[in-house]
Order: sequence, then C-alpha cells, then structure tokens
Amino acid sequence: MNADIRLPLTVGLGEAKISLDAEDTLVALGLGSCVAVCAYDPVARVGGMLHAVLPEHNGRDDRPTKYVDSGVRHLIAEMESKGAARRRLAVGLVGGAQMLVGPGFAKALNIGERNWTIAKAVLAQEGLRVAIEDVGGSVGRTVRMRIADGHLFVRSVGSGEIELPLV
Amino acid sequence: MTSEMGPLDLAEFAQFLDQVAVTAIKDAAEGLSAFVGEPISITPPRLQLLSLSSLPEALGGPEAVVVGIYLGFSGDSVGHVMLLLNHEDAIELIRLLMADMVDGPVGLGPVERSALGEVGNLVASLFLNSVAAVTGWSLRPTPPAVMKDMVGAILDIVAVSMGYVSDYVLVLETTFQRRERHVDALFWVIPDATALGDLSPLRPELGL
Repeated sequence: MNADIRLPLTVGLGEAKISLDAEDTLVALGLGSCVAVCAYDPVARVGGMLHAVLPEHNGRDDRPTKYVDSGVRHLIAEMESKGAARRRLAVGLVGGAQMLVGPGFAKALNIGERNWTIAKAVLAQEGLRVAIEDVGGSVGRTVRMRIADGHLFVRSVGSGEIELPLV
Repeated sequence: MTSEMGPLDLAEFAQFLDQVAVTAIKDAAEGLSAFVGEPISITPPRLQLLSLSSLPEALGGPEAVVVGIYLGFSGDSVGHVMLLLNHEDAIELIRLLMADMVDGPVGLGPVERSALGEVGNLVASLFLNSVAAVTGWSLRPTPPAVMKDMVGAILDIVAVSMGYVSDYVLVLETTFQRRERHVDALFWVIPDATALGDLSPLRPELGL
C-alpha cells in the first residue's frame, strides 16, 4: 500500500484534518482522555479525523476543534464541503480513557468518558451512525485512518495494533 | 479573578514559581536523601512555558512510552504535580530506592509501582510544604497514581486541566542523581487557573 511510503498526517491536540487523497493516512497519536472522531465516506472517499480534548464548547471564543461537541459539527460540515454525503458517513470513536485510576481520583473527573458520551450524543443528533468504538478503559491509544479504504488501525501499549474497517 | 488567563498572568506566575522553586526543590532533595539513606542531588529547576501541543516532543513524542507519577493538590490553591521518566530511568530509580533489596531484573509490578508512588508522595509533599511556608497556604496532595503509557495519553491529564483556560503550561524540570548512577526525571508543577488567580494578593510580599 502506498500509504506506507508517505508520512501520515498528524492530527494534533484540538485539531481536525480531512483528506481526499487515497495515499494519505491520518493519525492521532497518544490519545488518553482525548477522543478521536474518525469519519469516512466510502463513495466520495473522503476521510476526516478530529482530536478533541474537552467535551463541551459552551460558547467559548475558542477554536471549535478543541471540543467534542463543536468539533464533531465542524468535522461533518468540512467533510460535506469536500464532497462527502452525511448519509454515507461511517464513524469510529477511539480514545476517551480514564488515565487516573485509584483511590482519591473520583469518577466525576472522568473527562474521557464524558468525551465519548458527548461524541455519541452529538453524532446521534446529527443523524450519524457509530460503526466502531474503541473507547474507555485506562490505556492510551494511537489511531490511524487509511483514506484508501477507511480502515482504522488502533494501537495501545502492551496489546499491539488492531485493524478495524469502518465500512 | 478573570476566567481568561493572558500571557502576562502566566509570566507573573512563572516568576513567582521560580523564586520559591529553588528552595522547594532543595527541600525535596534533602527529604529524598533521608528516605533512601544516601545523598541524592537534584539539579536547579529549569522553568519553561510550553504550549500543550509541543509538550510531548520534550519526552520523545506522543507515542513514546513513559512512566508517570501523578498527584493533584488542593486546599488554598489547586494544581498538579507530575514526575515523568522513561522506563529505564524508572527502573533505575527503583534500584536506587530499594538498594540491596533488589536482586536481578526489575519489572514494574505492584511493589515497584508503590515505591514510585512513594517517591511522588515524598517529593510532592516536600515541594508543597516549602511553597506553603512561603505563601502561608494549606496545600494537600492526593494519593499518587503511577502510569506506564504513551506520553500523549499521560499528558492528556494536563491538557484537560488547562484546556479550558490556556494552551500553555509551566514545566519545572529537574534531574535526580545519586553517585555515578544517573536518573533523569522531569518534575512538573502545573497550577490551574485558580492557583494563578490566587497569586495576585501575594505580589507585594514577593516583590512581583
């Protein structure tokens, strides 16, 4: 696969990236409580990835892609402007772990869970289907998306890489 | 205090932290030396203001696997204390601490994690006590959490803490050292917005 000879496009903290190039790979590295929302249109072959840090934007004068709720809507709108059709979008959610576990760390502080819960709620409101979830737990993850076919590759420490086809 | 924190507030806090950090780190080093019964030196702290997105690069990139020892603190001020080491340095630190009790290869099992947690407890408590002595604040650390994971994943704890307020974080860096063995540990103190706000009344006393 040509994706192997091209450097992946890194989707950094609080960023979203979209690609129509079949040779591209999008990657979000070292997700802890952050959540990656990966969307793919198999017909237009448009793929997009959001790397959101916090669950809710709450009207802040800030970049929308830092937050799950505003970021998901931003991602969908951007993908539609690049030729993707909402009804065809398959979505994968990766990350949203609770990194701090043990006595003294309340579940109320579980931002990771709030991140993917909000992501699912917003996606449902937008009429989108979540095809794949690899969320929660207390492990960090890296997710890659191959634009050629919309396959996700999720890696975590100690358990190698798994391939998850979005469509 | 305002909900938005500008660069000026951070700069002021950096100056404040720089003034108390040297003493606080020395206190932590002395306590750690007493704990292991051998001289342990800590290099003078280096204070940096870094963007959240560039932080993982200081530790080999977001996918690099590191050991993190984390404690939060609360009371009259709120924030986070973190020690970050690569796996080899974490093992070396365990060897330093357990000295003759360790025979053969060292892993990162419950006993070793507990030992690292105690290092976090000790260093954080001494640091916070020293800060409290200058400021008069009452500061209480949480129990320690010890993680071995990707740098990016561990740093999400910091990103979440600061994310609503700022894209920048203060990194206080120091090196733990004992005899010929060298252990690099990134020692971080991360104030949250409340802590920065709390500083204003102290400015005249501290000459800021």
